[in-house]
Amino acid sequence: MRTAACIAAVLFLLGAGIHATQAQEASAVAASPSAASRGQYVFNLAGCTSCHTDEKNKGPLLAGGVPLKTPFGTFYGPNITPDPTYGIGAWSEADFVRALREGRGRDGAHLFPVFPFTSFTRMTDEDAKDLWAYLRTVPAVPTPNKPHDVGFPFNVRLGQMVWKWIFFSPGRFRPDPAKSAEVNRGAYIVQALSHCGECHTQRNLLGGVDTAKALAGNTRGPDKDAVPNITPDPDTGIGKWSDADLTDLLKDGMTPEGDFVGGSMAEVVRNTTGKLSGADARAVIAYLRSLPPIRNKVEEKKSP
Amino acid sequence: MNQGWRLGAAAAGVAVLLGVAVVAEAQNAPAQITQRQEAMKGQGAAVRTLTQMVRGEQPWNQQAARQAATTINNTAKMIPSLFPQGTGAEAGVKTAALPAIWQNKADFDAKAKTLEEESAKLMAANDEAAVKAQFPNVGKACGGCHENYRAKQQ
Repeated sequence: MRTAACIAAVLFLLGAGIHATQAQEASAVAASPSAASRGQYVFNLAGCTSCHTDEKNKGPLLAGGVPLKTPFGTFYGPNITPDPTYGIGAWSEADFVRALREGRGRDGAHLFPVFPFTSFTRMTDEDAKDLWAYLRTVPAVPTPNKPHDVGFPFNVRLGQMVWKWIFFSPGRFRPDPAKSAEVNRGAYIVQALSHCGECHTQRNLLGGVDTAKALAGNTRGPDKDAVPNITPDPDTGIGKWSDADLTDLLKDGMTPEGDFVGGSMAEVVRNTTGKLSGADARAVIAYLRSLPPIRNKVEEKKSP
Repeated sequence: MNQGWRLGAAAAGVAVLLGVAVVAEAQNAPAQITQRQEAMKGQGAAVRTLTQMVRGEQPWNQQAARQAATTINNTAKMIPSLFPQGTGAEAGVKTAALPAIWQNKADFDAKAKTLEEESAKLMAANDEAAVKAQFPNVGKACGGCHENYRAKQQ
């Protein structure tokens, strides 16, 4: 009698487990509302809309079409609405998480690192799943993707394998036990979600980031602009900025000179850092201040 | 015959004057660029004054706050005319003004108008609390224009 009960219990749990997995992967099943709302916050911090929503032309949310000019060509952010034909509606949660973690598409193709899987790989499972839950709630839009305008040899996907072998280390974020919870939270936001280093760290000619000089500025930024050093160096970085200065920068894009950042950073402030909770903004600041100051003067863009 | 000759001469004179004016304007571009950069620096100084008061880093001074808001408002009114044709990168002088300004002049001017309106509200703010409440809207107006029309670093 007990054995039967045990077997029944085990079978029940197995069945429940299988059902739960199927529920997560089924495209039509809605995730819990709290997962989607948590996912929206992850979405804001990861800044997805900046590359996947054509805001300049008032395009629909996440329907793609945003040109991203790089030294290797112009990439167009794809449609990531749940449209089954033109978006990622046919994807499973596992497909999505694999794209974030490993930089691979649903068909297994290597994704171009203009998609910062190099940072998203560090996302926690929970954040990745919550983000997926939110993306499923976005209206499906049947807009086909624009083909990337990338010439030979950069358009060879096999080349991406080599690039990843050299420059990509997959793996979840690992907190530093020697640092406070607040600094670790800030590190996670900067490294895994908001992917600040993708712009603020120097890129080499092959488009890899110089991890030894993380966040110390980049002469080869988007829009061909130089990107500032945000390590706490007093002369070439943010060492002299007060907490209020840094908070106002993140929230409103205001610098200590009373200036307001332009270009892509203004967009980052509007879509991402301006949406940080108070605690998370403090965490980001604590993390940046915990970094070793790197003396690196990023040259301003030469005219004209 | 007399009139024809004079008409021709007058027309030629006008053409010469117009040509001189065009050349003069093009030659003036560096000066105009410097002038507007100074105006923008003035904006920054006014914003800094207000920021310090809003943060409590400087003692509250209603008159100074109103003066700073007035500076921002006066410059905002001038912005459309501070960016005439020919004063972009083509002037050959260092400027953060993006070509998008002249491709979307109507939108650019509209954004300047927004700054004018928000700073006018700031001028009308009667006490510290009102200034604190309205100041972020001024900041948003600054950033809203810079996002598309100004290079990230000059």
